[in-house]
Amino acid sequence: MSGTVLVIAEHDGKQISDGTYELLGAARSLASALGGAAEVALFGPRDLAGQLGGASVVVSVDHPALAQYLPEAYEEALLAVLAERSPRLVLMSTATPGLDLGAAAAVRWQAPLAACVTKLEVADGVVVATAQILGGKVLAELQLAGERAIAAVIGGTFPAAAGHGTGTPDVVEIAPPAGLDQLRMSLVQVTEPPGGDVDITAADLLVSVGRGIESQDNVELVQELGDALGFPLSASRPVVDAGWLPKTRQVGKSGLKVKPKAYLAFGISGAPEHLEGMRDADLIIACNTDPGAPIFDVAHYGTTIDLFDLVPALTEKLSQ
Amino acid sequence: MRIVVPIKAVPDLVEEIELTADQTGIDREFLKFVVSEWDAQALEEALLVKDASGAEVVAVGLASDPDIDQALYTAIAKGADSAVRVTGDADDSTLTGSRAALLAGYLAAEPADLVITGVQAADDLDGQLAPMLAAHLGQPHVSVVVGVEAAEGGITVRQEFAGGRVHELAVGLPAVIGLQAARQAPRYAPITRIRQAMQAGGLRVVAVEPATAGPAPTVRRMLRPEQASHAQMLTGSADDVAAAIADLLRDRGLV
Amino acid sequence: MLVRIIVGGLIVLVGLGLAGTRLGWLARLVRSGRPAPGRLSGAPARVGAELVEVLGQRKLFKRWRSGLPHALVFWGFLILLFTIIEALGDTFISKNFAIPLIGHAAALGFIEDLFTVIVLAGLAVFTVTRLVESPQRRGRSSRFYGSHTKAAWVTLGMIALVMITLLGYRAAQVNTGDFPYGRAAFASHAVATLLHPLGTGANSVIETVLLLANVAVIMGFGVFVTYSKHLHIVMAPLNVAFSRRPRALGALGELPAAAPAQASQLELLTWKQRLDTLTCTECGRCQSVCPAWNSGQPLSPKLLIMGLRDGLMAGAAGSGEPVIDKEVLWSCTTCGACVEQCPVDIEHVDTIVHLRRQLVDAGQMEPAVQQVLQNDAGQGNSFGKSGRMRARWTRELGFTVKDARNEPVRSLWFVGDFASFDERLQVLSRSLAHILRDAGVDFGMLFDGERDDGNDVRRIGEEGLFQLLAEQNMESFRAASFDEIFTTDPHSFNTLRNEYPAFGLDKPVLHYSQLLGRLLADGSVPVEPLGMRVTYHDPCYLARHNRLTEPPRQVLAALGCELVEMPRNGLNTFCCGAGGGRIWMTGPEQAERPSENRIREAVALGVDHFVVACPKDFVMYGDAVKTTGNEDRITVIDLVQLVDRARRPAAALETV
Repeated sequence: MSGTVLVIAEHDGKQISDGTYELLGAARSLASALGGAAEVALFGPRDLAGQLGGASVVVSVDHPALAQYLPEAYEEALLAVLAERSPRLVLMSTATPGLDLGAAAAVRWQAPLAACVTKLEVADGVVVATAQILGGKVLAELQLAGERAIAAVIGGTFPAAAGHGTGTPDVVEIAPPAGLDQLRMSLVQVTEPPGGDVDITAADLLVSVGRGIESQDNVELVQELGDALGFPLSASRPVVDAGWLPKTRQVGKSGLKVKPKAYLAFGISGAPEHLEGMRDADLIIACNTDPGAPIFDVAHYGTTIDLFDLVPALTEKLSQ
Repeated sequence: MRIVVPIKAVPDLVEEIELTADQTGIDREFLKFVVSEWDAQALEEALLVKDASGAEVVAVGLASDPDIDQALYTAIAKGADSAVRVTGDADDSTLTGSRAALLAGYLAAEPADLVITGVQAADDLDGQLAPMLAAHLGQPHVSVVVGVEAAEGGITVRQEFAGGRVHELAVGLPAVIGLQAARQAPRYAPITRIRQAMQAGGLRVVAVEPATAGPAPTVRRMLRPEQASHAQMLTGSADDVAAAIADLLRDRGLV
Repeated sequence: MLVRIIVGGLIVLVGLGLAGTRLGWLARLVRSGRPAPGRLSGAPARVGAELVEVLGQRKLFKRWRSGLPHALVFWGFLILLFTIIEALGDTFISKNFAIPLIGHAAALGFIEDLFTVIVLAGLAVFTVTRLVESPQRRGRSSRFYGSHTKAAWVTLGMIALVMITLLGYRAAQVNTGDFPYGRAAFASHAVATLLHPLGTGANSVIETVLLLANVAVIMGFGVFVTYSKHLHIVMAPLNVAFSRRPRALGALGELPAAAPAQASQLELLTWKQRLDTLTCTECGRCQSVCPAWNSGQPLSPKLLIMGLRDGLMAGAAGSGEPVIDKEVLWSCTTCGACVEQCPVDIEHVDTIVHLRRQLVDAGQMEPAVQQVLQNDAGQGNSFGKSGRMRARWTRELGFTVKDARNEPVRSLWFVGDFASFDERLQVLSRSLAHILRDAGVDFGMLFDGERDDGNDVRRIGEEGLFQLLAEQNMESFRAASFDEIFTTDPHSFNTLRNEYPAFGLDKPVLHYSQLLGRLLADGSVPVEPLGMRVTYHDPCYLARHNRLTEPPRQVLAALGCELVEMPRNGLNTFCCGAGGGRIWMTGPEQAERPSENRIREAVALGVDHFVVACPKDFVMYGDAVKTTGNEDRITVIDLVQLVDRARRPAAALETV
């Protein structure tokens, strides 16, 4: 049985993502436990292989259809790679590409998939993945027996540092499969989020609001606090979906990952998708009237004072 | 255009979730089930496509899901043209892999031009439905979609990425879409209309042969997450807590 | 005479023709409305209402400064019907016509003249009122804001003209000898003195001219009536006859059969609702007491009814645009102040809820409201919390409350959503539980068998969901054993008492103030007099909808509190703004919240405690005290807290 662990690389055409390094770090230790090596599947610009020093092998498929991420193209390329390299374990993120590719590969490559993984280990030669389900309320320890398996890993589970390396991996070029010339979808347009707004990933402090803010009018109240502090507002998904703050302020799995010196969370319950975006902040202070809110499990300090009382009090204290 | 919307009943996260005695599963007996929130979004998006360009929307559920009839009639009350309850032999209908195989069997019998379902469900252990279904059917699929529109020769979809980047894709039909969020919040279904739908009946039951599901992971055990830490709670009046927070920030040179 | 007959005849024929045609058209407009169930039942009460409200002008007297003059003018109109008969007799029969049998009675002559003078005086009062209260002077706070003031002036002018021509021709009759009455008809004789110097010939001409003028103005006025808001003189008696008895408060009116999905708002209206719109006198009393209008929101009950009327008149029945904007409909708190005030028994709240049903069906509501409905449908409570958490507040009691589903109890406590799930109110619930237990009351609860009572769900307009909740609650009631139900929430009280009997509930329903009153009276709760000087806010759903104003006052008296009444108290209480689902809504913009308005009213009384008897009032006024910066001046306190203080003054109290 192969012991190879294959990581699917994510990139924006110029830069390999942090998430890829997280998976590569994990792949290296898992591969050694399985008696194999860590490989990275790289679709698109071959020169990005230079950023993957931590891998033993970079398996590259390059074709015009792979210039930008396209679900069908990446899937065809992936299946070609899987057929060639026959890895024991395939790792991908739970970001958009991972959601497209993992489950499809599970059926087409006939391998068990563990979704939303927060822990991965090898025990007696068997891959054991812990999946987080039901909003984080339950963990399922899954056994991925057999010759092949797939794990979709939640961002932030493994440290990115372990995936960097200064080595020179072997680059194996795989011929682009015929499917890449018979695609049934095409990329029409890419829209970057509107610029000109604040970059919350660069802020040292974020004043973040969640559903507990109740209405758009109340955002003004919190903006006063932000102004008093001199730092920007950010938000959880429901606030952005409701249109109360722009998408550029969204913290979380489908928004931005932030690591400020201080993160003040007002009226945020702490759903796993949000925590994924901010749990690494140096200081997390959470304000939520529900003492059982999951945010308190990652916050350093917390309070159940109503935010409508606390925010004005805090604004006043800071204006003195 | 015939749009099929598969919906899944998942445990209501408002409730406490208990594990079975042998701890290999969730105790489903006394649980309350609701329609997966992403499937509700998917239904809404399908109805929006119907509102804009005319389409036939069919809500489909698996007979093994608790209270699925109520969910299907609710879909009709919201504007779906019809609803189907699928029965068949599934290894373990709590696993997405089995569900995909069963639904693939249904779609082989009653093909759709477009399948829109939620991008994920809260209890997805072994993967998400849309890509698995597409793999069985040999159709293109796109997940994390935030908008679907009928277009010349197929559909246009908007696929969302972390950080807010959006890709607009042109996709040929038939295709399978995993919806993240509809263009507007799921519409309300007044109870009167749901009851009218129930009284009118008209739910079709279709028995199918499932496709062959791929291998699934085995659950060794289920457990509750340990709370490694908990926040230090600040007490007192709003002023007291505000002062404490101001101090914490001052200590770090942020004020 | 010939001149009189011909000219008079023409005038009358044209007048009756025009007025008749118009009335026929209006009748068709009303009859093309949807069926209104239950409007013919209970004839005795309807006859009684005609006597008391129409003849007796009862509701007019709520504001005696305009009510008394109006009553006098109205009675004047009735008396002066005799003079119309006389005028017609003088036109068509003979110059010195007298009504058979009584036509020469001094008393009749006197009364006719008396009321002619009274009517003129009344018109003078109305004129002054309209000048002082004009919208030009007072803007939105004028009850005439939005009313057709020009038509009002025309009305006053025409009535004045009727009186003047009447008096004038009677005076001439005195001088020509055609007058049927003696000196008892003092006014006619007084004016006759003025006309006397002109001579008999001139007076004869004046007599004919003013008589025909009188007939012409009367006919003209009659036609004008059918084209203006003064139509109320015809419509009001009709409307009062068909209105809900005893009043359109408490339960909602019977629901018309389901409407086709694409119906316009006007097509939804029943014939009674259409009649309502034609009856409106534009007096604006409803507008002046409306909490929405007074907080700067777009809803005025008067303008809403007028808007529907204008839509009907314009034949807008089939057009696409809604006549009444949804912002207007969503502003209503269903407090019923408008219904209470309306002198002609228009049923504003029923109509608003009726139109809301269409908004709910189309999903045109704030997301927060939709969420509440989804919470109720999914979890059976408006908070969206697990139904199993409903009675969790009882855990900290230190004793077990009986489960009425498992063992019989005398008094079933229907706790309600707010008192169960809101942390501030759970404290009050626990206090009450302790009070009841110490008093030896045999009480129990339904625990997680309880659901949202549905009162506000129904008034938001989700009728199906209300029925679902009621059915679920009834199932729990049937599984339980109890003699009576009590609740701290007037909203729950309202629907359980007035609407649940239709679902089979046949036990007495009490408000906790009634229960506390009983316990204080029979000594079950021994108390020391508090000696506090307080004011009390009557909850809308207790006082106005259910006429319960005494029980909380009796409790305050039993506790030795000195009550300083709010200016707007009892049936005239001013809403806190939470009803009708508004506690969950944010829009439309409010200049000043009703609750803030109310707190300012209370602070002006110079008391330090504002007593409430409703969980929503407790929350709304608690917030308003903070937002108006009155925390140091006044404290909101519930009846339960007062009882607690009075029964154990030395003990430490749980702070809220």
